[in-house]
Amino acid sequence: MLGAGGHELARVRRHIGYVPQRRTLDPQFPITVRDAVVMGLYPMLGAFGRLTADDRRRVEAALVAVGLLDSADHAAGHLSGGQQQRLLIARALVQEPRIMLLDEPTSAVDAATRSAIVDLVRRLHAERGLTTFYVTHDINEVMPCVDKVLYINRTVRAFGSCAQVLNRETLESLYGSRVVFAEDSGRRYVIVGDSHV
Amino acid sequence: MFEFLHYGFMQRALLSSVIVGTTCSFIGVFVVLRGMAFAGSGLAHAAFGGVALGFLLAVNPLVATVLFCLGTAGLIQVTSRKAQLRMDAAIGIFFAFAMALGVLFIGLMKRYDARIYGYLFGNVLGVTPGNLILMAVLGLVVIGAIGLLYRRLKFLTFDEEMAEASGLPTDALAALLLGLLALTVVVSIKTVGIILVEALLVTPAATAYQLTHRYGMMFALSWIAGMVSCVAGLVISYALGIPSGASIVTVATVLFALAAVFSPKRRKCKVCGHKSGFDTA
Repeated sequence: MLGAGGHELARVRRHIGYVPQRRTLDPQFPITVRDAVVMGLYPMLGAFGRLTADDRRRVEAALVAVGLLDSADHAAGHLSGGQQQRLLIARALVQEPRIMLLDEPTSAVDAATRSAIVDLVRRLHAERGLTTFYVTHDINEVMPCVDKVLYINRTVRAFGSCAQVLNRETLESLYGSRVVFAEDSGRRYVIVGDSHV
Repeated sequence: MFEFLHYGFMQRALLSSVIVGTTCSFIGVFVVLRGMAFAGSGLAHAAFGGVALGFLLAVNPLVATVLFCLGTAGLIQVTSRKAQLRMDAAIGIFFAFAMALGVLFIGLMKRYDARIYGYLFGNVLGVTPGNLILMAVLGLVVIGAIGLLYRRLKFLTFDEEMAEASGLPTDALAALLLGLLALTVVVSIKTVGIILVEALLVTPAATAYQLTHRYGMMFALSWIAGMVSCVAGLVISYALGIPSGASIVTVATVLFALAAVFSPKRRKCKVCGHKSGFDTA
């Protein structure tokens, strides 16, 4: 994709479902949940294309997939933080992408909501056979379910399987501080230390 | 009751009010949703420079103002991008500069022409057939552009980052909106004046926003509010012998007050219990 331009980029874009951070949404915008999800089809519809029955089916399916069908005709401004994030995921799903790119989908939500969103993404990834890129600053929220980890700090610092990247030596060199691993109920957690660890 | 419509100047006044009410109400949706109220005010003040230039050069002031306002809009857009300034700072710089140029152009005029000041507060009864044609053409350009770009502008306004990621030329669309706003100001200044045009750019759309959660319906309600404000304001100004611009803006403000007080958004949603606004929790 790097260096692609014009028609090639447009062709590639259709296969990528992008989920931006929630803060990019205008909270005052007068729009229903359903209409916000329909926007995911705009790049395919163009300026004057009309929604077909198949398009409407895809919108309904996306709303069902994220659990927002009952809220479809509500004002998008009435949604909670977690629901807003699910709306953005539905908007990306509606174009039936092959690749999902999620940019910090759990930022500014509570722990329970964070867990629910990660579970949703994991389920959609499995059900739809997606290639999923999940951008996060919190390795613990995705550690149990990712195949590969890519660390970027202006450049690529590390890339590989969980076993290759998520070990003490690699993480301590990445974070520049002590790293501790903890386990609870069969699940591993990474604690990046400061002077108190 | 409608005998005043027998007069040619009143027919032109009514037509110009319809054009202004329609054009302002449509672009006003973006002024309200994108927070462009200061841009509208800035371009309206910049129009003073264009009007003064027109009188100085003895050309049609509205034609001079079209070029002047578009130029100012272009400078604002370019400066905010290239100089990495927030948009309101760029607007502040150029609207003050344009007003200063207006004062300069007046100082350079050999003879004092009081008609300039008619553009400050509007003179709907002085709309000429030539003015009407220019207003209609510009109004059609603005409304036509909004119609053609309806979806793109909706996407841009709701989620600019996603719109850009989808391949929309967001910078160009934002610049175009600013240009359409500049044209709308020119459409309106003969009717409501430079000082009060801001009210028509904001108030009808703000009224509509009180009454609906739907984007498309907001255009329809804004148009109704704009039309009622302009036509009723004109009739009231004729009946009471008061300035038309002030009358129109007063009607618009009363409509907004009523909409705000009786807004359905003030009542709790029966399903989710929310009143309005995004829950940021």
